[in-house]
Amino acid sequence: MMLRLHVLALTALLCACSKQKEEAPPSGAQPPAAGKTEKKALPVGLVIDVGGRGDHSFNDAALRGLELWAAGKRYEGGKYVDATPDEVRQSLPPHLTSDAASFKSLAIQPIVLQSKAQEDYVPNLQLLVDQGARLTVGNGYMLANAVRTSAQENPKAQFLLIDSQVLDAQGKPMKLPNVRTVLFKEQEGSFLVGALAGLVTKTNKVGFVGGIEVPLIQRFEVGYRAGVKTTNAQASQALMSVYTGSFNNMAAGKQVAQDLISKGADVLFHAAGADGIGVIQAVKEARAAGKSVYAIGVDSDQSHVAPDAILTSMMKYSDLAVYQAAKDLVDGTFSAGEQVLGLKENGVGMAEVRVEFPGKAEALQKVEALRQRIISGTIQVPAVPADLASFQAAAP
Amino acid sequence: MLDVLHSLLFSTLDAAPALIFAALGAVLSERAGVIAVGMEGMMRVGAFCAAVAALTMPTPLAVVMGMLAGAALAGVHGFLSIRWRSDQVVSGIALNLVALAGGTFLLESLYGPNGTPPIQQLTRWNIPGLSSVPVLGALSGHSAPTYLALLLPFAFQGLLTRTPLGLRLRAVGDKPQAVATLGLSVPGLRWGAVLGSGLLAGLGGAVLSTAVLDRFEQHTPAGLGFMALAAMVFGRWTPVGAFLAATFFAFGNALRIGLVSSAPGLVELIPQGVLLALPYLLTLVVLTLQGQRSSAPAALGTPYEQESR
Repeated sequence: MMLRLHVLALTALLCACSKQKEEAPPSGAQPPAAGKTEKKALPVGLVIDVGGRGDHSFNDAALRGLELWAAGKRYEGGKYVDATPDEVRQSLPPHLTSDAASFKSLAIQPIVLQSKAQEDYVPNLQLLVDQGARLTVGNGYMLANAVRTSAQENPKAQFLLIDSQVLDAQGKPMKLPNVRTVLFKEQEGSFLVGALAGLVTKTNKVGFVGGIEVPLIQRFEVGYRAGVKTTNAQASQALMSVYTGSFNNMAAGKQVAQDLISKGADVLFHAAGADGIGVIQAVKEARAAGKSVYAIGVDSDQSHVAPDAILTSMMKYSDLAVYQAAKDLVDGTFSAGEQVLGLKENGVGMAEVRVEFPGKAEALQKVEALRQRIISGTIQVPAVPADLASFQAAAP
Repeated sequence: MLDVLHSLLFSTLDAAPALIFAALGAVLSERAGVIAVGMEGMMRVGAFCAAVAALTMPTPLAVVMGMLAGAALAGVHGFLSIRWRSDQVVSGIALNLVALAGGTFLLESLYGPNGTPPIQQLTRWNIPGLSSVPVLGALSGHSAPTYLALLLPFAFQGLLTRTPLGLRLRAVGDKPQAVATLGLSVPGLRWGAVLGSGLLAGLGGAVLSTAVLDRFEQHTPAGLGFMALAAMVFGRWTPVGAFLAATFFAFGNALRIGLVSSAPGLVELIPQGVLLALPYLLTLVVLTLQGQRSSAPAALGTPYEQESR
């Protein structure tokens, strides 16, 4: 009886969860600063995955692209306020700061829906289409099926899908005339941070903390392993890789990181969403206890979470992909298709290294040389575990 | 090898307290006959309030604030389910939803979605002499809640089985009419148990934001409140049983992590997903072996009405 009650409670809770969603207030309904623009603001929708707003990482990057860059707004206390040009400039990655002037806010109105459960994705996308969103962004591979469903049901609406191709019911890639998909070569950015990790480690032990073991996260791991292998063969042998099994449980991330640190790892790269906050916390505590340990952030520059403890971050500029799509929409040049962005296209990269360590200049030089070789194509970074064993970076 | 055991023990002791406190809270409430589905929400409220309070006051005091906040939410549960005899499952779920959405709303309006500003963590106690002992050294270097979590279950078990108050608490969950015929207040005892469970759940949540992390992270407690219910059932509604079950969950997780990092060859044989499910598979096995015998309090979930018999 008791068990049944609990099961009932859980089911009811899950159902109830899917009903509630966060809806951004339509404060952007008025065109920003009347007079500056005559055109009516185009509604652009964004559905973020269950990781939620404020993950310091993947979702925040998409939000930055849409809200801050494209709409020129900042989300504060549950509503939008206009962002200053300074704020926009500071949020730009280094390779774009010279271009800051071109990041003028577009005449769009962001509508963001958070998903509390997987069942939310389709209703959320449909809600945005019904609200007249001219472009609807699905952020994350978890939304792949939902975007396919919505795009097929609403052939006139346009969609942008980040991190996945459109997949048919059998999971095979397919094309839809109203969906643009953007994939990233995470392995290339991860390769760079792996190369740096191999140069920085003193114990010759480095670690990787993944979220859920899916092909996307495996690309991070494989690229990282290849990078470590290139600069430090010994560390590559001893590389420890553990998956937490979630993207929203920082306690699990911390537990994994503590374990790796206690086994001698002194550089930890995480690709685990909010679990990564726990990884960074464990590194922070180990540093406070006198160990020289670094964490490497993911997707966004996570240096601000723990400035001393973050060696660098593997950057994935999905913010730029979202911004570009919004800009194409406003310019009337939006087209469906598949984009794959790597180092060469500035789709991924490595964040500025703000911490000091011995031999920093030399290490950064080596990493930069590797970057050039990936861009020129002399290094082909593997993307799946099967290709890792045969990978050998040719001597420069 | 000793290193591996050391890190296994340390990791378990560091991760288990939040779950232990919440499981004890669930046992307290349910032994008195009130279903404790709202643990998740109470933990969340406790975690949030402790993190916010720690911005302005010493962290230990902030933990107390988190406990009080958990008790306040439990008060609502008590009011609905004891005073108004409403459905206890529905009340608990409603509180979970309120805490989930309310926590996110308050966090975003007060501090932005990135979590509260960092706070001072609870101090970790290094026990002199112990830290250098192999394996047992893992007992040193935890914050106060860890040690409390090791002692409290046994004190609670003693209270429940060896004191008049404990007898009354158990009776009120099994045969409330019998308690009433002795002239004791059934609502009074149940109120005490529910508020106590709120304090414990609030403590569990506060541990997450003051000892595990140094801020309130928006997903907290990420399902731990439901794990606590599982630990309670697994532990047959006894404090020590729930403690062992909670420790077992934490240990199972630590073991999985330790296995993967120490024996990478294993992952090639068994996918990590299977290892992730291992603690729960073991739980299922144990529950099956226990057989049909139910240990749930007889009057659990039944609102007390004086006229009923």
